Amino acid sequence: MKTNILGIYEDEKVLTDAVDKLQAQGVTISDVFSPIPLHGIWEKLNLTTRLPLATFLYGAFGAALTFAFLFWTSVVSYPLKFGGKPLNTLSFIIIMFVLTINIGTLFTFITYFVREKMFPGKQVKLDVPRTTDDQFTIVIERPLDMSLDEEKKINALLKETGAVEVIETNN
Amino acid sequence: MYNTRVRGILIKGNKSFSDVSRDIIKPMDDKTPMWWWVTAFLATGALFWGVWGFYNTISTGIGTWGLNNNVAWGWAIINFVWWIGIGHAGTAFSIFLLIVRQKWRTSINRAAEAMTIFAVMAAGLFPLIHMGRIWDGFFIFPYWNTRGPVWDNFNSPLFWDVVAISTYFMASFVFWYMGMIPDFATIRERTTSAIKKKIYGALSFGWIGNAKGWLRFETAAILLGGMAAPLVVSVHSIVSMDFSVSVVPGWHTTIFPPYFVVGAIFSGFGMVLTLMIVMRKLYKFKDYVTDGHLDAITRILTFMSLIMGTAYLTELFMAWYSGSEYELFTFMKNRVTGDYKFAYWTMLICNGMIPQLFWFKAVRKNITIVFIISLFINLGMWFERYVIVVTSLSKDFLPATWATYEPTITEIAVYSGTIGLFVLGVLMFFRFVPTIAISEVKGVLKETSTLKSFTDEN
Repeated sequence: MKTNILGIYEDEKVLTDAVDKLQAQGVTISDVFSPIPLHGIWEKLNLTTRLPLATFLYGAFGAALTFAFLFWTSVVSYPLKFGGKPLNTLSFIIIMFVLTINIGTLFTFITYFVREKMFPGKQVKLDVPRTTDDQFTIVIERPLDMSLDEEKKINALLKETGAVEVIETNN
Repeated sequence: MYNTRVRGILIKGNKSFSDVSRDIIKPMDDKTPMWWWVTAFLATGALFWGVWGFYNTISTGIGTWGLNNNVAWGWAIINFVWWIGIGHAGTAFSIFLLIVRQKWRTSINRAAEAMTIFAVMAAGLFPLIHMGRIWDGFFIFPYWNTRGPVWDNFNSPLFWDVVAISTYFMASFVFWYMGMIPDFATIRERTTSAIKKKIYGALSFGWIGNAKGWLRFETAAILLGGMAAPLVVSVHSIVSMDFSVSVVPGWHTTIFPPYFVVGAIFSGFGMVLTLMIVMRKLYKFKDYVTDGHLDAITRILTFMSLIMGTAYLTELFMAWYSGSEYELFTFMKNRVTGDYKFAYWTMLICNGMIPQLFWFKAVRKNITIVFIISLFINLGMWFERYVIVVTSLSKDFLPATWATYEPTITEIAVYSGTIGLFVLGVLMFFRFVPTIAISEVKGVLKETSTLKSFTDEN
């Protein structure tokens, strides 16, 4: 079984500097927990998301689907003239515009939860509950074969970089 | 970096992260205050009266309203547009201020978004009961039917309205809820009550606040916000098209879409101001919603008021310049000097003139006066819709059909019912949800407060 070493910090600036120092020493950081989004951290941990691409695809799909539906109902299924306007009319753009946003928004929202594996009522137990309040945590994986020396070195580094507490937890 | 000299200190009182959580969650943990019960009692009373009006309308028909052949739209549409306008504040605050990187939004956006949700709910009731036969309401949706199938008229602004408003409600709700998830997690971890832990645990969807989670969260928030921004503009443009695509004098103008959008944001900001002054007083949130925040809103309102004033004058000018005698009659005779001059001048004074007092610093600094002016804006914007709907319909092309309009007790009851619904919604929000976005305030805390680490660096 793997365990984790957790370095607990009380300031985001100290934590960001600590991440730099740890990485410079060749320590792999597996995750960072924080009460606020830390914008600089994502590049440091090489984290990316394809959510914008997904949203674009949903929007494009929404626009196409809406047009197909409007065209089919107004031109193919029941071609009924309203006020002499053409059957395939420019005013479709208004409904297409709104429904593009509608479908894009709804599916982006759903995709977010699916990717994050979050759902209503999901129960979680945080190792450091105060990371949702005023503390920050650096998580370093500790494989079973990690030597005692290496573990000590990591612990020392965490303390040195300003961690107020270092704990070890089961994964 | 953020320059505190530009906007002043946003969060006062040398708060730490923990202080922020404690201060904002405190009203939810405290005993329910007396003012809450009293207001809830009054709002429930108003709501029940509204339910009576609602029942009266549905069981007897639209004949219980003061409408006639000419003025076929009355209070229902006036109130509908008024509520939708108020509902524009939340997204205007959250999105537009996010786009222009105004960090002072963080103390206010949550309440403004909540206001949007309840205002749009109140607004949505009006078209529903205006149908008369509410049980046939589903006719508005393009569903596969046995009559042909005959589909909706997709060129009708009324159908656009249904699509736009339901989308706006959904997008606003999704954006609002998304922002609350980290805050629900904060409550989940802080609370000592087992019941609260369960409820807020369920509401937080299992949020843990790790790096990838925050990255996706921030990206999703920007995407949802980015999509909602054009929606704000389109929703009220579409509402304005309910009027402007017709040929009725006073409605048939190209100025309507921008004029409605600005009016909506103006009334929304007015209502935000009203609400924030009440909230910061009752919950002692003066460190979060500072005088600087209120000052910023009043400055925006001054500018919006100028646009409104310009729009009113432009309408008058175009009525004269167009040479159309019908337009000229509607504007100069019916509105400025005729039967409805009281409503017209109330609108003009409340929206175009009174907010101009905000040019004076002494007025902006006096919160009581600011509060009173915010109420005048709400009133003025209601009269604007009254002027648009009633004056144009009451006297159109054919003098033989001219008619006057007065609301009946049923219409007043329905309106008061929606006010009750809105107030109850806001009260529930005050009681059970963190009224200020905790994690967002923390995000701007260091750069915008007098915390030691910040002042040391500079």
